[in-house]
Amino acid sequence: MTAVVRKARPVSTAGPPLARRRRRLPFSPWHLVLIPAMIILLFPFVWLVVTSLETSSEALRFPPDLTPHVIRLRNYPDALSAAPFGRFFLNSAIVALTTVVCNLVLCAAAGYAFARFRFLGRTALFVVMMATLMVPFQVTMIPQFLITKWIGVNLLAGAGIGHIGALIVPNAATAFGVFFLRQFFRTLPIEYEDAARVDGANRLMVLWKVVLPLSAPALATLAALTFLDSWNNFLWPLIAINSTAASTLPLGLATFQGAHSTEWPLLMAGNVMSLAPMMIVFLIAQRYFVRSVAATGLSGI
Amino acid sequence: MSLSASLALSRRRLGERPGSRRLRRTESLTGWAFVTPATVIIGTFGAAPIIWSLVMSFQHSDQLSSSTPFVGLRNYRQMIHDPAVASAIWHTLIYTVLFVPGTMVVGLFLAVAMNRKLRFMWVYRTAAYATMAISTISEALVFIWLFDPSYGIVNYVFSLLHIPQQQFLNSPSEALFVVCVMTIWGWSGFAVVIYLAALQGIPKDLTEAASIDGAGPVKSFWRITMPLLSPASLFLAVWLTINALQLFDEVYLSTQGGPLGATTVMVYYLYQQAFENFNFGYASAIAYLLFIVILVVTAIQFRIGRRFTYYRS
Amino acid sequence: MGTYRLRVAASCALAITVVTGLAACGSGSTAAGGDGKSIQIWEGYTGVEAKVFAKMVAQYEKSHPGVKVSTLYVNSDNTLQKVQTAVAGGAPPDIAYLYGSWAPNVAKISSVVTLNDVVKSKSVNWNDFWVGERDVATVNGRVIGMPALVDNLAVVYNKKLFAQAHLPLPGPNWTWSQFEADAKKLTIPSVKQFGTAYVTPGSEDTVWHWEALLWEAGGRVLDTGNTKAAFDSQAGLTALDALRTMAVTDKSMYLDPTDSAYANLFNSGKIGMLVTGPWDLSAFPNIQYGVQIMPSFPGTAGGHQTISGPDNWVVFNNGASRVKTAENFLLWLTAPSQDKFFTLKTGNLPTRQSTASSPGYQSQMDASLPDVSAFISNLGNVKLARPQIASYPQVSQVIGNMIVGVLLGKQQPKAALDAAAAKVNQILAGSG
Repeated sequence: MTAVVRKARPVSTAGPPLARRRRRLPFSPWHLVLIPAMIILLFPFVWLVVTSLETSSEALRFPPDLTPHVIRLRNYPDALSAAPFGRFFLNSAIVALTTVVCNLVLCAAAGYAFARFRFLGRTALFVVMMATLMVPFQVTMIPQFLITKWIGVNLLAGAGIGHIGALIVPNAATAFGVFFLRQFFRTLPIEYEDAARVDGANRLMVLWKVVLPLSAPALATLAALTFLDSWNNFLWPLIAINSTAASTLPLGLATFQGAHSTEWPLLMAGNVMSLAPMMIVFLIAQRYFVRSVAATGLSGI
Repeated sequence: MSLSASLALSRRRLGERPGSRRLRRTESLTGWAFVTPATVIIGTFGAAPIIWSLVMSFQHSDQLSSSTPFVGLRNYRQMIHDPAVASAIWHTLIYTVLFVPGTMVVGLFLAVAMNRKLRFMWVYRTAAYATMAISTISEALVFIWLFDPSYGIVNYVFSLLHIPQQQFLNSPSEALFVVCVMTIWGWSGFAVVIYLAALQGIPKDLTEAASIDGAGPVKSFWRITMPLLSPASLFLAVWLTINALQLFDEVYLSTQGGPLGATTVMVYYLYQQAFENFNFGYASAIAYLLFIVILVVTAIQFRIGRRFTYYRS
Repeated sequence: MGTYRLRVAASCALAITVVTGLAACGSGSTAAGGDGKSIQIWEGYTGVEAKVFAKMVAQYEKSHPGVKVSTLYVNSDNTLQKVQTAVAGGAPPDIAYLYGSWAPNVAKISSVVTLNDVVKSKSVNWNDFWVGERDVATVNGRVIGMPALVDNLAVVYNKKLFAQAHLPLPGPNWTWSQFEADAKKLTIPSVKQFGTAYVTPGSEDTVWHWEALLWEAGGRVLDTGNTKAAFDSQAGLTALDALRTMAVTDKSMYLDPTDSAYANLFNSGKIGMLVTGPWDLSAFPNIQYGVQIMPSFPGTAGGHQTISGPDNWVVFNNGASRVKTAENFLLWLTAPSQDKFFTLKTGNLPTRQSTASSPGYQSQMDASLPDVSAFISNLGNVKLARPQIASYPQVSQVIGNMIVGVLLGKQQPKAALDAAAAKVNQILAGSG
């Protein structure tokens, strides 16, 4: 680099140097932006939680009154006992966790291949994959049902209609995951992988030992998003599941929503409880969002 | 050693000569091996149903009776002459053009604000993610209330600011914008999460080097951070567009395509054709028109993206 | 480069053919269910209804050893979608709760069982069911369902708001001009109070409320052969004008485009009168409400007619023995004593006339759900049914847009009626 005139400034380790000097408030000015943003983002949650603590006559008001007169915690155990929610939670958890693991494995492999390999038909295959994202589910649900049914009858009973395998297998890999990881892998500097190959690693080991550790933020993000999608999925389980024993949480929550009347406090309590596992998954995934220091150490240019 | 020199050295050490056919075939096979499991799943459950729907678009099918006579291009011809299809396309495009940049800007702004060592950062991040987790029905109900012409908070704030009261979801000219605001709220958390992951991937030494060189924070953002974020931006633009063009849930749960068809977007129209009018063949044809539109738009985005995205490899 | 493209294309084509072929083989499963004594019902009961229904099912299983009735909750809005998919896959349920408005289209499903022979037996007493239910369960003379639910529209009003406005409560001989006048007096903009409300998503909910007025004005939706629109008559204009006066001129009508706020608004004391059904009564715990039959248009033959929206239990063919088990269960479920038990416990209207007139029944119903007896006696005012044709959904969409256009002040009633009638005639001509 050419020599530059370095301005004398105090050395500090917290945040960019310039910002520190100008701070007059006892907290970062960014909070002034983020807090109003958070209020807007979290507003529906306030309504959700408040409604879940109301009696049903309080919930039947419009405009909604966000100051509950009674805190009715009983809505929560009432909601849980209204239907076999333990079973629904378990089913949803099994489906979501398995779907996440499958997606991470399959989409990382495919995404890496699309990002780094040159193989015949690569572009065509990628286009076909992206195309599967472009037709709405309302149109594809009946053929998907038929295919799943066929698989259940002829290949693997646990993956057929009426079993929770039917909720896992069709979503075990999504074009979204492949697309997302392909984009991410392309942003990684190729030097690390080349260095590993020079040292004699085959491509699988390169992926496993070099690329995946570097991709922790992306993998964590994909895991969180896939979990969310799977946990909240309603339409496909509605069609594929025919028994209460195999139902998932969204189907269970639907039992509070009749065609003519809805039990709002119970439904909202159910929604709040349904949110909890998703938030736990996200909080765990958050720890991987921060890049490992070792990865940033190598600039190697 | 320079980058290209070290790469050339590595290639020679691996025994690769440029254009070696044996190595290209190995790479080809390995590539297919990596890709096959995902391809099987996506192909079976994604591609095959799409072919099936294509077949159905050439039939007259109500998914009730078992007869599905082949009618050739009749559904497609009906589609060209259906004014409702043209207005559905128009509504979908307006919505997309507002939604995609809106969400990206909001997401980028919040992600940049969050990407620093502040206290309670995890609260902000979790709140952003939580907006994705909330059920669509809850989101819809809150926004219906906020934008109610008589009792909603937005009109109340307008009255304080002496802005005339609006009809929002009761107005054919405003309803689509309200739906747009609702969905930007719902998706900005996603944009924040994506941009945050990307921002985390930018090594601090790059931005610090820039500030040492005298670049202010704004310039450093535009010249360094934005280009490095371009892959994430491309990803978001493509994914948000694909979703925007297929908007359905929020319309179904709030305006049901009204008032007077103002919020009838493509997927809502084809849902009506399929499940209210029992015209599955026609709905499949509309889905295929939408598919072509999305394919073309995505291809254009990738093309433009190739010029503007910067991959560090 | 040419051969590789060819190879890719060939392998793609092969893969697609294989998968599509697999999909095509998916249908035509044999009826399972063992000895035919095990059936599945898809129903949309929630809350109290669900508990009572579960109890009744258990009671049936106990008194019919060997029979297993498994129930699956499916929100009634989604049941047809699920049924269609199941039918495509060759495995429909044995019984499903399906909206009456779907009946002409449900009748097209080949596995739907014809119940004419079953219902004409004396013990069923088919004519004991209200005429609206029988009309909706029958498509072109073919009985495709047993009545599952009946309801009707009447006016629910807020007694306190009427007292505050010094208005006499609605009487059984009231007219639409009185309704409009009351609505106007009950509208107080300063406290954001409206005289009445109307749902405007343009869906069937928008349409059927207006059809009640159309019939009260002496009009019909379609002509007797269901070949031409008949609502663009003087009756149609009268009915549309009544709504328009309130929505556009008097501004006494709260327009709800999302079909979700109006009931809660009424419950919060912000609306004076509401045209709605018995299902909403339990949603008004915070106010003192009264129920009155629909007003009439004086000088017309319509009287105080109302409209009903019955729903059906539909039986699907999964083999002769399962059909028999399902039919037996349905006959038991819809028998007078079960009808009385279920409706007394849930507050739903009785599906049988004999239940409605049984001694002490109406006062018992009123004890648990105040004023529901007004809806019960209003069942006698159901004279007509909506056109039972397969293209009714499309007709409904046209009429819905017409009503919303007029209520939003975007169209004049006469022009709107004429334009809508022209479109409807096209639809009817097209479907033959």
